[in-house]
Amino acid sequence: MQRAFAILGALLLASGAAVAHHGWGSYDAAKPITVAGPILTSKYENPHATLTVRGSDKVWTVTLAPTFRMENRGAKPEVVAVGKTVSAYGYASTVEKDEMRAERITVDGKTYEMR
Amino acid sequence: MNEAAPAIFVALEGSALGAAIRQSSWAYMAANVGHIVSLFVFAGAIAVMDLRMAGAFAATSPGKVLHNARRVVILALIGLVLTGATLFTAEASHVILNPVFQFKLGLIALGLLNVALFEFFTAPKVRALPPLAPMPAGARAAGILSLVTWVAVAACGRSIAYF
Repeated sequence: MQRAFAILGALLLASGAAVAHHGWGSYDAAKPITVAGPILTSKYENPHATLTVRGSDKVWTVTLAPTFRMENRGAKPEVVAVGKTVSAYGYASTVEKDEMRAERITVDGKTYEMR
Repeated sequence: MNEAAPAIFVALEGSALGAAIRQSSWAYMAANVGHIVSLFVFAGAIAVMDLRMAGAFAATSPGKVLHNARRVVILALIGLVLTGATLFTAEASHVILNPVFQFKLGLIALGLLNVALFEFFTAPKVRALPPLAPMPAGARAAGILSLVTWVAVAACGRSIAYF
């Protein structure tokens, strides 16, 4: 009986871990896109920094990475400041309209990995 | 900011504290790490306590196990609440509308209700029991319900980000 409950507990834990996959599930990874243009707004905030970028087709919300990771990789606030021109390679959201998550961004010829 | 959320949560997220947590380079990360570490300690101590109530480790004194594990559980719970409140404040208007978070709150309420009922009705009967004495049915039920509830709370917590 006790063993049965221990196994039940372990199974529940394992299923929790399986559900908690990664944060990229609601993005269409089958169709990578590139959004390039001037940065209109920049929020250097947690849990993820976000930009709005005037792309060739429309204004996109571009979701980046946690700010600590961005700092570590050199993508400091001034790199993604308003007025800079960014090229963001990533995937469009399947949930949020006009939102994409960047795998990497390029600013002033330098590429920063976001994942 | 999700304006569809009740005003108090919009205000909480928009507060200076909310902004400070989001804009700090370490606060959100520290709360995230602190939350998982607190959960780890909480789960370990809860598991010892609940398994004892369910009848495991029968050679130990149930009263002593309860007494010692409870201190750790309470400390870890304080850590969970503080770090959880930090994470919540940063994104209050979004998180409060998240269905998994709402379910998690319900499970936490169930877990705390189980604690209250156990402390009030069952713990007095269990404390004085000698080692190897059979556990009352109420203690077994409370222990198992507690384990299942808190494991489900943890699973919900990690799932919030994906719904």
